[in-house]
Amino acid sequence: MATKKTTAAQAGTVLLRFENVWKIYKMGEVEAPALKNITVKILKGDFVAIIGASGSGKSTMMNLIGCLDTPTKGKIFLKNQDISSLSESDLASLRGRTIGFIFQQYNLIPSITTFDNVLFPLEFLEYDDEEAQKRTRDILLKVGLGDKMYNRPTQLSGGQQQRVSIARSLVTNPEIILADEPTGALDSVTGREVLEMLHKLWKEEGKTIVMVTHDLNLAKYAHTTIELKDGEIQRISTND
Amino acid sequence: MKLRKCLKHAFEMVLHSKIRSWLTILGIVIGVASVIAIMSISSGMQTVVSNQMGNLGGDILTLSAGASRGGNMFGPGGDRGGSGGASATNKTPELTRTDVQALKSLPDLKLIDTEIRGTVTISYLGKSGKVSLTGVDPAVWSKITTLTIAQGRMLDSADQNVVVIEGGLANNYFGKPVGINQMITISGSAFRVVGIVDDTGNGIYMPINMAYQEITDKTTGVYDSIVIKVKDESQLDATINKTTAKLIAVRHVTAKKPDFSLTSSKQMQATRSAMMSTMNNFLLAIAAVSLIVGAVGVANTMFTSVLEKTKEIGIMKAIGARNKDVLSIFLMNSALIGLVGGIIGIMFGIVLSGLLPVLMGETGMLRGGTLVSLNSVFLAIGVSVVIGILAGAIPAYRASKLKPVDALRYE
Repeated sequence: MATKKTTAAQAGTVLLRFENVWKIYKMGEVEAPALKNITVKILKGDFVAIIGASGSGKSTMMNLIGCLDTPTKGKIFLKNQDISSLSESDLASLRGRTIGFIFQQYNLIPSITTFDNVLFPLEFLEYDDEEAQKRTRDILLKVGLGDKMYNRPTQLSGGQQQRVSIARSLVTNPEIILADEPTGALDSVTGREVLEMLHKLWKEEGKTIVMVTHDLNLAKYAHTTIELKDGEIQRISTND
Repeated sequence: MKLRKCLKHAFEMVLHSKIRSWLTILGIVIGVASVIAIMSISSGMQTVVSNQMGNLGGDILTLSAGASRGGNMFGPGGDRGGSGGASATNKTPELTRTDVQALKSLPDLKLIDTEIRGTVTISYLGKSGKVSLTGVDPAVWSKITTLTIAQGRMLDSADQNVVVIEGGLANNYFGKPVGINQMITISGSAFRVVGIVDDTGNGIYMPINMAYQEITDKTTGVYDSIVIKVKDESQLDATINKTTAKLIAVRHVTAKKPDFSLTSSKQMQATRSAMMSTMNNFLLAIAAVSLIVGAVGVANTMFTSVLEKTKEIGIMKAIGARNKDVLSIFLMNSALIGLVGGIIGIMFGIVLSGLLPVLMGETGMLRGGTLVSLNSVFLAIGVSVVIGILAGAIPAYRASKLKPVDALRYE
């Protein structure tokens, strides 16, 4: 599997492409550019860390990569499809099929069980009930939460909640896992476990991982590092 | 997302915010229960009126003393303190033999029945009560009334000390049924029951000459009303005009200031229907206000819910929910509130309908009881669901249009 991943990344199959992307926020009369003329490619099977200080534009970039937002100027191609030309509905479907999100604060729905939280994305994609439930069960077993399936998120520890979040991001078998400060709310031991899980997904399953972090130490887990400063790319480095 | 799944999530939303949902549902319950109770009273009233009107055919005219104002609504009466009588004195207008003679001279009239009414005390097997007594011309009444005989026979011209009673009096009034040829006591005098009419009322009919003795405040030769059957129903309007002209002449009054009213059963029916319809609309408008208040409650709850769930909407959108999925979940949520409110409201409405006659007594309005029709049940469910959807439409639309990035940022 590792060989497969390396081959894909090295072969240069582009999964996501930013072309002269600007994101400008308007605050009354004042325009505040969060991203300035970004051009970058993310290859299939790569583990990319986007790093930068607070206000560098990394969250904005993550939102654009995750199709949660659209650029003010420039184009973003996901699997060669210009996302700015897609309707909100198509964008949602594309998100559901292609991208799995892991958030810093887990962002689980508190009123439903662990199982239902993980099942949710499959319901939006209108999976067959039986298949959806099987996938959900399998993925929860895989992240070690077989005994917590019917607990509500509030009954779980931070680490367990993040594992539910990881399970939810994986259940649709997306091509990209987008992790926003995935260890930000966890202690160092649990954070390390989560990172190892992501690393394993990259190494063994060939998933494309895009991780946004301000912690330079975490970036060491990634293969490619994009460093942002004041909305611009300062440096792109690879860790071979 | 499949509709079934949307419904599941909408149901979970209702369950998750139990107190708020139930308070909102309560608003709908009050509105629907009011509508059901009012509609059931209305149906009961319509039954009473149609039963009453059924006693008079389309070819029947009723003459009463005193001018009516815009139609004679509920039996004889009208402006009894009106403009003087036939002789232009200050006497209360009366119907007398003179009027009967004048009517008999008209060839367009087929039958004339003179009637008086009053309340009498009736006793049977040691139990007594007050009931309505109608004195009728025994030779004519059986031919003019649309009441049908259930047992025994109608009154006839030779009858003395006999009565025909209504089914309600015969079967339910005394605890034990009153049968044919049994004796009942009216104001101390014994009368034999010769007939029971097919009616649920408690009224008694007896020859008018006997009735004058039982209803103490009546003067012999003065009538409460004269019921007339016309020869040709198709000429009803022309007959009314001729009869009115004759009565104006005989009673020495003017067309502008008549001291009598002559109404056809059709007119009475139309007038009563119009009045009932106005009253029903008024009551329904009051109930509708409760429903509108309920709808505002649903809208308020939905707006709060959308605000509270903004982040969840962002999460849903991030993991693949389309606008229409979010819209469906929130719309179903509000429709569910409406539906549950509607169902509980109907149950309360039915209970209330049953209790109203007991609570308010046998008032005229509730004399026919209440009647909850299947139509009103379906209408109430439909209206409450539609109200739920309409009230939830704007909040649901706003929820569906939230940008995922903004929704996720919401705290």
